[in-house]
Amino acid sequence: MSEWEPKIVSFLCNWCSYGAADLAGVSRMEYPPNIRVVRIPCTGRMDPKFFLAALREGADGVWVSG
Amino acid sequence: MITFKLNGQTVQGEEGQYILQVAEKYGVDIPTLCHHKALEPAGMCRLCTVELFDGRRSRFVTACNYPIWEGMEVQTDSEMVHQGRKLIVEMLLARCPEVPLLQKMAEDYGIGEPRFKKEEDTCILCGLCTRVCERMGANAISLTGRGVDMRVDTPYGVNSDDCLACGACASVCPTGHIDLDRVNRQHTRIQAQLIPSEYDVGLKGRKAVYVPYAQAVPNTPAIDRDVCMHFKTGGCKICTAFCGVDAIDHSMEDEIIELDVGSVVLSPGFEPFDPSKFDSYGYAKHPNVITSMEMERILSASGPTAGHLVRPSDHAEPKKIAWFQCVGSRDLNRCDNAYCSSVCCMYAIKEAVIAKEHAGDDLDCTIFYMDMRTHGKDFERFYDNAREKVGVRFIRSRVHTIDPAPDGDSLSVRYITEDGHTETETFDMIVLSIGLQISPETVQLAEKLGIELTPGNFGKTGSFEPVATSREGIFLCGAFQGPKDIPQSVVDSSAAASAAGEILSAARNTATKTPEEIPETNVVGEPPRIGVFVCRCGINIAGVVDVPAVAEYAKTLPYVVYASDNLYSCSQDTQEAMANIIRQKKLNRVVVAACTPKTHEPLFQETLVNAGLNKYLFEMANIRNQDSWVHKSDPERATEKAKDLVRMAVSKVALTEPLQEAELAIKPVAMVVGGGISGLTAARSLSRQGYETHVIEKEGQLGGQARSLYRTATGEDVQSKLAALVEEIQDDEKIQVHLNTRLAAVDGFVGNFKATLVCGDAEEELEHGVVILATGAEPLKPEEYAYGTDPRIVTSLELDRRLMDDDPLLKKAETAVFIQCVGSREPQRPYCSRVCCTHSIDNALELKRRNPDMTVYILYRDIRTYGEREYLYKQAREAGVIFIRYSVDNKPVVAVGKEKISVTVTDHILGRPVEIEADLLSLASAIVPPGDEALAQFFKVPLNDDGFFVEKHAKLGPSEFATDGVFLCGLAHYPKPVDEAVAQGRAAASRAVTLLARETIHTSGTVARTNPMDCASCGVCVAICPYSAPFFTTEGPFAGKAEINPVLCKGCGLCVASCRSGAISLKGFDNDQIFAQLFALNEETVV
Repeated sequence: MSEWEPKIVSFLCNWCSYGAADLAGVSRMEYPPNIRVVRIPCTGRMDPKFFLAALREGADGVWVSG
Repeated sequence: MITFKLNGQTVQGEEGQYILQVAEKYGVDIPTLCHHKALEPAGMCRLCTVELFDGRRSRFVTACNYPIWEGMEVQTDSEMVHQGRKLIVEMLLARCPEVPLLQKMAEDYGIGEPRFKKEEDTCILCGLCTRVCERMGANAISLTGRGVDMRVDTPYGVNSDDCLACGACASVCPTGHIDLDRVNRQHTRIQAQLIPSEYDVGLKGRKAVYVPYAQAVPNTPAIDRDVCMHFKTGGCKICTAFCGVDAIDHSMEDEIIELDVGSVVLSPGFEPFDPSKFDSYGYAKHPNVITSMEMERILSASGPTAGHLVRPSDHAEPKKIAWFQCVGSRDLNRCDNAYCSSVCCMYAIKEAVIAKEHAGDDLDCTIFYMDMRTHGKDFERFYDNAREKVGVRFIRSRVHTIDPAPDGDSLSVRYITEDGHTETETFDMIVLSIGLQISPETVQLAEKLGIELTPGNFGKTGSFEPVATSREGIFLCGAFQGPKDIPQSVVDSSAAASAAGEILSAARNTATKTPEEIPETNVVGEPPRIGVFVCRCGINIAGVVDVPAVAEYAKTLPYVVYASDNLYSCSQDTQEAMANIIRQKKLNRVVVAACTPKTHEPLFQETLVNAGLNKYLFEMANIRNQDSWVHKSDPERATEKAKDLVRMAVSKVALTEPLQEAELAIKPVAMVVGGGISGLTAARSLSRQGYETHVIEKEGQLGGQARSLYRTATGEDVQSKLAALVEEIQDDEKIQVHLNTRLAAVDGFVGNFKATLVCGDAEEELEHGVVILATGAEPLKPEEYAYGTDPRIVTSLELDRRLMDDDPLLKKAETAVFIQCVGSREPQRPYCSRVCCTHSIDNALELKRRNPDMTVYILYRDIRTYGEREYLYKQAREAGVIFIRYSVDNKPVVAVGKEKISVTVTDHILGRPVEIEADLLSLASAIVPPGDEALAQFFKVPLNDDGFFVEKHAKLGPSEFATDGVFLCGLAHYPKPVDEAVAQGRAAASRAVTLLARETIHTSGTVARTNPMDCASCGVCVAICPYSAPFFTTEGPFAGKAEINPVLCKGCGLCVASCRSGAISLKGFDNDQIFAQLFALNEETVV
């Protein structure tokens, strides 16, 4: 069980969290590479269908941040 | 070129290169401990030993310093090589058994206990330190002694004058044998220490080559000449060996550049007060007494402890923290700063609240203060919340001494409570809320420029020209004008820009160049031909991600016809090369896998435009900031992620289409609603910058509240200045004043507003491009303290009127009383009206001037004479004005008698009621905004709970709204004195001119669009859009259906997600594009 790692799809707002993810890089912070980011113009853009599509594509978790 | 065989593979290297260098180029890993790219190799550690076959026989050589030759055959991975390396590691481990690096290597080579006798050394004699010391030009250390006595030391083993304490030896030492402690102990006569990072106020070290902070603009490293070894000895220059693009030039000199300019704006800022001279606070002695600036860094996620709240002495989490206010402010006894620094009360509360957020509710935060000055917009609410909900303790007491507690880390504080008791408390950490002051360098600059300074060394300005210095054409802004917070600094900066712009408006657009326009290729209907450019970013990406493999992989993706990698995709020559490839390969979609679109998308889009492609046929894959930089210890999976990100970007870009940016003319006319001092200043500035301006005033004359003001805090006569301003406005041909006029309707949007003005029975339409709301506020008509029952009880503005009229009562009165916070800082109006303390104190002084025998009382809650207004407070106390503090739950009681007005107040020192027999009672009544909902609706701008307009951004956008083309100034924003109202009037004009000067605006291509066939006219989009972009069409076949104004749309997609009929699409982030990205998460489901 400890070997298992979730696949995470994240939807990040272009104006805040996406920039924060960039800054994490600038600050050379490290985190596991099991996350794929989709840039969205605003979390207001999120559609329930996006969650479902991500889960159907095998994501174990969906993270929306903005 | 020399060709030889490396592990059977034919490789090439330059003449004079060593095996290790060529191996590195071909990605063949050879372990080494003593190698450094910038230093001559020495072959000391022997770990890089490889097997060399010279055609006849095999032998072992060290790869780092063995030059390559034609036809040689090298094996780096043979069994013999492995065995040799294993033995070397075993011996090194025996010599230095406690070095973690060697322990790790031994584990990798499967070595348990070394077979040899263990020693206790930590030095492997690799000689990196001595070679780097030589390279530094210092030559202070060398390998001394022979055989088993060999070690790294200075000549004769004494601390040397030659050692410059640069720390290079410690930085290259692979085992940690040499650190700064050892350098100080054994090598140098001067103290070696970290170079203190300015950004982290010395809490952390930085390098001699450094980027000041992560968000610095430009984000380019600088060399600190004062500490760089090259500038001390002529040696080093190691940085040049590592810079992949030869950007470092040590021979660059300071240049003197002469510029011909029409105006100058000074914004030199402030320096934080240095509290080390206060012995009683022990800042210099005790590590746990820190400044508020240090606290800011400790609390910051990008700070030295990554936001983890610990105290400096032992890195323990503090349980009790105290803040001491007014350190280096409001203090003439121990420093020369008599003024209030304006910002410290608020930042102390903010730090206390954040500290509790970080450390949890158990943390005890206490603020020791004299007067709590939360006079900014929404600050009083923050204070109330901190006190009542967050549980920050506020103690009104000035502590004079901090003593170390017996445990050696904590600090003991003795203070006197409000009821006169002495208390002793111990805190884990004390934060000194240091003030703002002007640096000696700035004072020198002011002297050189010949501009006058105030007693506090701030640039001297007038209330009616708050950004103009005493010298014509030189303006100033920010903390140099007076201690102030961010929003006020931003207001000032815009104001200074407008003042400079007025002088320069004739020269506008005379030094601009028009770029050449490249015709756009029509790609509609073509199948996608995608080009993928994968960036190495030097070693930033390529050091972790296998860039060639990603580029190769990209070639296998659908519609990709071209893929390659670049060293630096953003460099000028690469840009040109990319444009050529786009043309040659007839690409019609482009993906750049590189850094972040946040910074580089516009640059690459320009490359597309230069190649004749629509800029929206582009997508970036973020494989640096969100991949190589954050997964550097897992190159394999970082490469896998990069491939995934490229695949997702390719899937999305295939579905992009060319988007158009509509061009829209801006009507070069401004409308200012409100003819008060702020609105008039805005109108004057717009006119001076060449724009037709209309001032709409609901009353019969101009001037607003300023008509009732006697003098400003600096003693300037308001009426004469106001009259001059009104005259200038009336005489100005570009300004048209509409008196007795109100707005009946407003239509349109940025650049093209249409307002219906009503004056009496007459109606008029006014077309304008921008609007400034300067609708002001009113004084509250008090409903307490017997106001309205007796002519001797007046409001502050009514007292001003009497002062102007020279009312004889004022001279006759024996006793005058001022009551502060009348209607302000109350539950129903929880904000501070900002101006009243200064106003009352100024008037009290004026009464004293007119009748020195008069007894004057000011009954207050906190005196908020911020900035240099503090001098007035001091002056008033010196003049004998009596200040009595009351609390909001025990307010003064007023009884009107025949002879006198009786005012009873509970004195905070005596703790008992005092009855004052007064002849005059002045009430500092609150400033109340009209809260005009209709006007707010016209321009779709929000009002806050108090009825003030809500600006675009509380800190960075104080003079504009989120709605484009609508600006804000004056009391409608928040209560403010004349100088700040004037500054904001100018600021609003300045912001408006940034739009007007453009003449046309381009809408973004990434906007929402409705399909009227699918629209159910439910109105959700119309209701939900924060920018009022959707509206119902009134004409044509689709009347009643929703449509979106592309000019107002910011492309957030809120309407798209909320549309129940799926009738709205968002160009650039459409459903199919986001789905394509999601489907491309897995290789198998790419569509």
